[in-house]
Amino acid sequence: MKIKHSKAAVAEADMTPMIDMTFQLIAFFMIVSNFEQTQADERVKLPADQLARPPLAPREKEVVLNIGFLRNDKGVKLNPDAFVFYGDETIRVQDYRPRLAREFEILKRQAGEEKARETTVTIRADGDVPTGQIQELIKMGQEVGFLKFALKAKAGEDEG
Amino acid sequence: MKIRRHETDSKIEMQMSAMIDIVFQLLIFFMLTLKIIAPEGDFNINMPLGAVAPSDDQPPPPLDLKVKIEANPDGSLKQLYFGSRGLGNEFPGSFDRLNNEIAQVAGGGQGGFSDDLEVELIPDYNLHYRYIVKAISACRGRMIGDRQVTYIEKIKFAPIQAPPGG
Repeated sequence: MKIKHSKAAVAEADMTPMIDMTFQLIAFFMIVSNFEQTQADERVKLPADQLARPPLAPREKEVVLNIGFLRNDKGVKLNPDAFVFYGDETIRVQDYRPRLAREFEILKRQAGEEKARETTVTIRADGDVPTGQIQELIKMGQEVGFLKFALKAKAGEDEG
Repeated sequence: MKIRRHETDSKIEMQMSAMIDIVFQLLIFFMLTLKIIAPEGDFNINMPLGAVAPSDDQPPPPLDLKVKIEANPDGSLKQLYFGSRGLGNEFPGSFDRLNNEIAQVAGGGQGGFSDDLEVELIPDYNLHYRYIVKAISACRGRMIGDRQVTYIEKIKFAPIQAPPGG
């Protein structure tokens, strides 16, 4: 008698749709991820404006100044004075001039004085920072040698 | 004669588990690094060097518009002036009025762009930054649908006003 030799069948799920979906998700997250905003400080709550559009070509070099307040978890100001956030350091706006001068000096050595002067100083300030302090920072920037300044705002409509 | 039957219908299967492992790791990486941040834009401002006299080779703009923004002691908007005319202190209503005024001066209301105009902003020292951004935006232009219409590119700050109480 012939014994029918049945092949040991392993039940295999069809993985193709899952892999398709997973690749689509990866593609989505890769596109949505934004690796550029490395100089943005989350402590600064920027005001929003509908005309604020990202520049078409990113600037070659820029000096970004984050100005904001020290706040607790609920957003209450711990100190009425505005500070410039420089990494983990917080520096009073009035005391920032030496840092700006150093920044300019470094740029000058790297790329020459012409390029250093053309570098844009981008100011990212909290919506509550007094304008006079922003003007003081701009004045300090001019005194150390910078010529171009830009003010940042979030794209979109202000909710408040 | 015994005919040996070849199993011709068996599929060659790729080992997928390693690939799926990697793909999931990538997926988790991108999910964790995802930060949803609204895109940021910026406004360029002209800042002529403080007390230096205007350059000789460049004639000054024929029409220098002044926008004065007064602040309450707490930094909120007290009054917005276009020239000497008060435009109110509602936010953002008065800035919409400023935008309309600028549109009439710069583009005749046709959405044009004036290169020979300059706006000087005169903010009080303690005015909150969000109002200055609104003022710059109102002078710069407006959005019509998805298109940006530019009115005035040249925007500068007046010299710093003395801080209140010193």
